[in-house]
Amino acid sequence: MWIIFRREIGQYFASPVAYLIAFAYLLLTGLVFNNDLTSSLTIRPADPAVVPTFLSFGMVFFAPVLTMRMLAEESREGTLELLLTAPVRDSDIVFGKFLSAWFYYTVLLLLTIVYPILLLSTTPNLPDLGHFIAAYIGIWLYGGATLAVGLMFSSLTENQIVAAFLSTSALLLLYLGNLAGDIVADINLANLIRKLTLGGHFSPSFAYGLVRAEDVAYFAGIIVIMLFISIRVVESRRWR
Amino acid sequence: MIEVQNLTKRYGNYLAVDNISFEAQPGEILGLLGPNGAGKTTTMRVLTGFLPPNGGKISIAGFDVMTDSMQVRRQVGYMPERIPIYPDMTVEGYVTFWAKLRGVTRPRKRVAEVLEQVQLYDRRRSLVRNLSKGMRQRLGLAQALVHDPKVVILDEPTIGIDPQQVIEVRESVRQLGQNHTVLFSTHILSEAEQVCDRVIIINKGHIVAQGRPSDLRQQLQPEVSVYVQVGGGSEAEISTLLRQVPGVNGIEAQGAGYSLRAQKGVDIRPHIFDKVTKAGYKLLEMRPVAMTLEDIFLDIVGR
Amino acid sequence: MSQNTSTPITITRSDIGQTFGFIGALSVLLGILGLLWQRGFTLAIVVLFFVGIIGLVLWWVISPREFVNFITGRQARYSTTAFFSTLLLLGIVVMGYIILERSALSADMTEGKRFTLSDTTLEVLNNIQREVRITGFYSPRALQQREVDDQFFRLYEQASNGFVTRNYVDPVAQPGIADDFQANDGDVFISFLGINGDVDMSTVQYVTRSSRQERDITEAISRLLLSGNYVIYFDIGLGELNVTDTSQRGISDINDVIRAYGLITQGLNLEELAASGALIPEDASAVVLARPDVDPSPQALTVLDEYMRRGGDLFIAADTQTDFMRPNSLFNDYMWQNYGLRMLDAIVVDAIASDETQLDIFSYAISDLEITRSIDPGTDPNTATKFRVARAIDVNTEPPVSNGSAIRSSENSYGETDVTTLAQSNTYTYDDGVDIPGPLTTVAWARNEANGANIVLVGDSDFLTNGQVGTPPGNASLFADSLLWMTGAGAAVTFSFETTVTGQPLIFVDSRTLDFIVVITILVMPGITLALGAIVWLRRMRR
Repeated sequence: MWIIFRREIGQYFASPVAYLIAFAYLLLTGLVFNNDLTSSLTIRPADPAVVPTFLSFGMVFFAPVLTMRMLAEESREGTLELLLTAPVRDSDIVFGKFLSAWFYYTVLLLLTIVYPILLLSTTPNLPDLGHFIAAYIGIWLYGGATLAVGLMFSSLTENQIVAAFLSTSALLLLYLGNLAGDIVADINLANLIRKLTLGGHFSPSFAYGLVRAEDVAYFAGIIVIMLFISIRVVESRRWR
Repeated sequence: MIEVQNLTKRYGNYLAVDNISFEAQPGEILGLLGPNGAGKTTTMRVLTGFLPPNGGKISIAGFDVMTDSMQVRRQVGYMPERIPIYPDMTVEGYVTFWAKLRGVTRPRKRVAEVLEQVQLYDRRRSLVRNLSKGMRQRLGLAQALVHDPKVVILDEPTIGIDPQQVIEVRESVRQLGQNHTVLFSTHILSEAEQVCDRVIIINKGHIVAQGRPSDLRQQLQPEVSVYVQVGGGSEAEISTLLRQVPGVNGIEAQGAGYSLRAQKGVDIRPHIFDKVTKAGYKLLEMRPVAMTLEDIFLDIVGR
Repeated sequence: MSQNTSTPITITRSDIGQTFGFIGALSVLLGILGLLWQRGFTLAIVVLFFVGIIGLVLWWVISPREFVNFITGRQARYSTTAFFSTLLLLGIVVMGYIILERSALSADMTEGKRFTLSDTTLEVLNNIQREVRITGFYSPRALQQREVDDQFFRLYEQASNGFVTRNYVDPVAQPGIADDFQANDGDVFISFLGINGDVDMSTVQYVTRSSRQERDITEAISRLLLSGNYVIYFDIGLGELNVTDTSQRGISDINDVIRAYGLITQGLNLEELAASGALIPEDASAVVLARPDVDPSPQALTVLDEYMRRGGDLFIAADTQTDFMRPNSLFNDYMWQNYGLRMLDAIVVDAIASDETQLDIFSYAISDLEITRSIDPGTDPNTATKFRVARAIDVNTEPPVSNGSAIRSSENSYGETDVTTLAQSNTYTYDDGVDIPGPLTTVAWARNEANGANIVLVGDSDFLTNGQVGTPPGNASLFADSLLWMTGAGAAVTFSFETTVTGQPLIFVDSRTLDFIVVITILVMPGITLALGAIVWLRRMRR
């Protein structure tokens, strides 16, 4: 599994596309951070969760792009077939790829921590550290979940674009479900829908600095289920 | 080394391989010969541990492909028809990746060895995407050999490359046979004839014949043919005379002479000699005509 | 499958295991369906899940290999089984999630612990005797707000042992109820419950929304509990500080605070009452004299005395540079004779327990009383009181009623009697024999056990002003706790005054630093990434 992990990481750092994605990621998060900073100067405290909150929207688009090629390309190029003849478990293949994507995401996330550090070095006022950490833990898990979804869709098809499209749609659905209340009249149904969404487990809790066990369970659950499905799909290739 | 008993494989309702059985001894080069869609690739995929069979018992190097799939995969090197590539890796990196994945203990050393073996060592730092088709073939071979497997399975290794390279590949396969058991598939019959120790002819999921190429010829050739060129008489006279040779089943004009088909087991050459000389004609040429494997094959497949 | 009737039917372990597993899986699936249908837990659904878990566990225990195999093994590779195994996993995950949700496990990582209840709130909740209802109005659009608020309300429910319950109403679905409360979307109300278990509409309190959620709710509860039973009268006829004055010298802030907690404040004019022959109202829980300029007139004093005799409570903040409670004045003598307390004409100078100058004194020695219960500088310096230029109080050690000293200055203090020099040139020296050696009392109390009259006397009044009442917060605590003690409302509620700094400071950054940050984050970091990408791309081009 780790061999696959290492290779995939190498792919991320050797692929110009990945750098392009990282560029967009850093640029956008940088803009968001600075925007919040300038608009809060002397008026209100800076929002420690500003970058994570942006990413909760941004990952809907970043995750599919980061994962679309992972399994789709392998099956199209035929390398998946070869992988399946190697003494490697199917689950190892999926885990190795997922962990590499999550790792890359974690690296990008850690890079965004540079922003508040830069700020800290210039003013003596410490922001709410706990709030900050909680928001980052939340978006880290959130990112893992979106990447797992992207990987799952990548396993279903040989066409990267289709994979990207499907996972973007799915993630968008999971993200916008937060607005269920605007559409659905029955409050209980709307609440249930909210419980299924990504935002519903980040905005009312992690974004405020609160770490709830049920939110952790939600994200972990999504990761587990998506990876499970991916493994089944990879296995099913043996029947095609 | 390879033991296949009653292998059956279905895709949904389509029966791709129907109850075939065969064996390969260590060091043998076994050829799977058959037209497209015969079931060659399917059979190979089962042997590599990729596809689970619907029925039958298959073991490689003593390991059953169902219960000891991982062990089987360690013993087998597989080169698919379309060489799978990771375009952004270097040649060295690519082979090293597979080496590690297959459990090679000293990858660097082994990778260098196998690259030498396939003559890609000087391109080891090139990116895979920049290799020509022939080089990719060699790369595919390198990946299949890097873990020094007991069994090497090659799916149509000579497809789509130029003739010079084809010859190289066939030579490589022959050399491989010295140290490994090789199973390769082809639909080019001369290739099977030239390279393999034994051939399995497969069609529509069934084995229609198997054996050494020479044995096959013998076994399947329905009749021995003898080509005769006789002088000293008219065509009509000669053909009538030849028809009367005992043990002759049929006669065909062929070129300047005639091709006589003999009954099975009958050596008609002495009879021809007798007949011709007694009639006072001159026997200009007489030679046996072997059916090529091609003929056998087309014949069998045509049935 | 034909059976030879003479062979016994064997039931293997795996059969048993599989049966349990099947029942378990089916149960879980039904449970999920039921959950979706009922949109909430009913007993039946809980039972289904329970049975489901038991079944699956038994399957796992009885034939563990089969269980594991089913989830991940060969059989799972067949597509239909894969489908069901996925559903099963989904069921397990959902169950795990629901259990965690019910348990409401969470970690509050915020600096100010915004999601944990403070000790003050817990104390208030302990004192609740009647059932309290939190009613929140949230339409489907406001569900996110509801979820955030719910984190709090849950805490209140848990901490109150069931005395506080929460209820959510959809104002869109039930506009009638919303009208009764005059509620907008997102409004929250606190009320008592009536006998029949419904909201007692006469007790409804609106919860204001500020950045301090916990304080808002606890204040509302406090208002509920005090229920307007306590009225504090601020006298204005003697030139006192004004509750409507929002300047630095006014006392509007402390007035707003105690009103937010449910105490009612009113104005009073002793002189006018005296002139018209009226008495201090019956509902007066306490009377506050916040820095009078002069003593009350004899007639006003009579009115005041009458009030005290029927168990009234009095808070006096005297100060320097007034004609109030001068030595041997009418009022000063009155206080001395009846309560053993009087003001001295000496200004407290403290060498050690002081701030900017030796006249800005901190509370040093603090008696363990209700009125000083929030004041504990040893633990938290912010809870101290600070008086700027205070007069010393003389406490009669053989008083006619119970009395005592609440706050004293240090041993290195003394009372400067040369008030004039001090006022003119701000100089003071200890004159042996003339000045009064410390420690000196700056806050004193008295209580007439017979009629229940209470007095709190403070030698300073600046501490009540808007400019100083919050810095340090101990000043506000002193006043509030004094009122609570005197009126008896302290039995129901407690007030608390944390430091006003919320822990999230504002940012003050100059434009050059700002530019620096912008350059690094928007130009340098993405730029480096782009450059790296270009390098990698070029590398690809080579052989």
